[in-house]
Amino acid sequence: MKAKNRNAYFYVYKTQILKGLAYKFDVYGNILMQTIIMVATAYFWRALFKNADSVQGVTVDTMLTYTVVSSMISVVLTTNVEHRITLSVRKGTIAIDMMRPVNIFKVFFAENLGGVTALLFQNLLPIFLIGSVLIKLPTPGSVTGFLLFICSLTLAFFVNWYLAVLFGMLAFSVIEMDALIQVKKHLIRLLSGSIIPIWFFPDWFQGALEVLPFVYLYQMPLDIYIGKYTKESLVRGLLIQLAWTIVLFLIYRYMQKKVTGKIMIQGG
Amino acid sequence: MKKCIKTLLHYLDVTRVCIKIALLTIIEYPSSILGWLLSNPIQFIVGFATIQFVVQEFGQVNGWNYGQLAFLYGLSVITHALSMIFFVQGWFMGYFVLEGEFDRYLTRPLSVLYQFFFTHINVFGFTDLVPGILVFGYGCYKVGFQWNIQNIIILLALIVGATLIRGGIYILIGTTSFFTRSTNDFGQYTQEIFDKTTMYPISMYPENIQFILTYLIPIGWVSFYPVSDLLGIQSTYAQFPGTIGLTFLIGILVMIVAGLFFNFGLKKYESAGN
Repeated sequence: MKAKNRNAYFYVYKTQILKGLAYKFDVYGNILMQTIIMVATAYFWRALFKNADSVQGVTVDTMLTYTVVSSMISVVLTTNVEHRITLSVRKGTIAIDMMRPVNIFKVFFAENLGGVTALLFQNLLPIFLIGSVLIKLPTPGSVTGFLLFICSLTLAFFVNWYLAVLFGMLAFSVIEMDALIQVKKHLIRLLSGSIIPIWFFPDWFQGALEVLPFVYLYQMPLDIYIGKYTKESLVRGLLIQLAWTIVLFLIYRYMQKKVTGKIMIQGG
Repeated sequence: MKKCIKTLLHYLDVTRVCIKIALLTIIEYPSSILGWLLSNPIQFIVGFATIQFVVQEFGQVNGWNYGQLAFLYGLSVITHALSMIFFVQGWFMGYFVLEGEFDRYLTRPLSVLYQFFFTHINVFGFTDLVPGILVFGYGCYKVGFQWNIQNIIILLALIVGATLIRGGIYILIGTTSFFTRSTNDFGQYTQEIFDKTTMYPISMYPENIQFILTYLIPIGWVSFYPVSDLLGIQSTYAQFPGTIGLTFLIGILVMIVAGLFFNFGLKKYESAGN
């Protein structure tokens, strides 16, 4: 039974890759959009560094690498699970989804993973090439740094997914989710270091952000990539990232049971 | 002449009713208003705050200090909000063309372009206006903006001109769907491009991009040139005397071109179905 289920999830994963590959226009649109954001951000940094060689121990070259890699990370951290749940609840198909002999949340996860896998080729690779040609070849600080970056990015992927699915679960109690999804998007965009690294913020603000999960999505992997870390900050950062992954996972497990129960009652 | 005034009054009357209906519609969904009231201010205020932190660290961006940047950013958000209220429909023109929605407008004795925009006034746009005014107010305070009659008139002309330029560009882009028959929603792209070119000084881009934004697509006129003129900031690429009057004129010009193009596109319109 277990093995059969695993096959089911793998099938969802595979279908999602094929589905992702089918929508050509979306792909070109996304690449165009990310290129605009990436190039504009690069010019912003160039303009700022015009009169300064290094600020906060960072040079303009490092900042350009940061910009390109951040765009690439944003591809890996794409989620659609909030929209997926909202749509399912709004249309009422969630009841049927729940009746199927598979765990619906695992199906969502498989879908997400499939989507991201398709995007690696469709989006991440083009962004890397465009960024390297138009801005700068994003070379990592060191080989160890690159390996640690991959570890940190994997954790970031899970933190991001749990945040998204927990947020999506709000759809069971709030009907109008569009605005809330926007709130989450803006908070992540501005407070995760995805566009502006948090080292440029005042100390009190940085301290507050280090406690929140957002910086473990972009800032942490990016710092490791460009080599802006000490042994101490690295260990502490990775531990907090791991802690957030576990905490969010536990909340997710709890909420999943609660939400499923709620649907059962309404259906009964 | 009398007939002209009568028509105008009729249009004003219809507009009043449309606004009333739009207001009534949003009162239906209070949680939605709350959501947008939260979302849009967060986007723009936190967005500006993060830029400000960076600029404080560096001192300036291409000769603009952060008071001047706040002025530019705030003004840009205000005109963005106004264009959202009146012209956001332009983003969704593709759906209207494909679904045959223009049939309804064509049978009514009012201008189609008027109906298309004013029967769907987007009152939620006001939630963008709030952060715009806050950041702009902060910018005015930082640059020591004089609130005399002359400056207020200049500011109003600027805001009207900039809103018309934005709206005109939305219509121009939307109208292409009469020819392409596709529902591609370019709204997101348009917004992203406008954000990157009106909230920061365009002087940070290379000269060929500045050329495009000055002469080919008049986005530079939405905020960069008029604000440079108003605050007396020297631009290295091009300097225009009487920029604010120009902004107003360009706004009207873009709108006229957009209207003509829309009417031309409408002739190509075929309803959906058989």
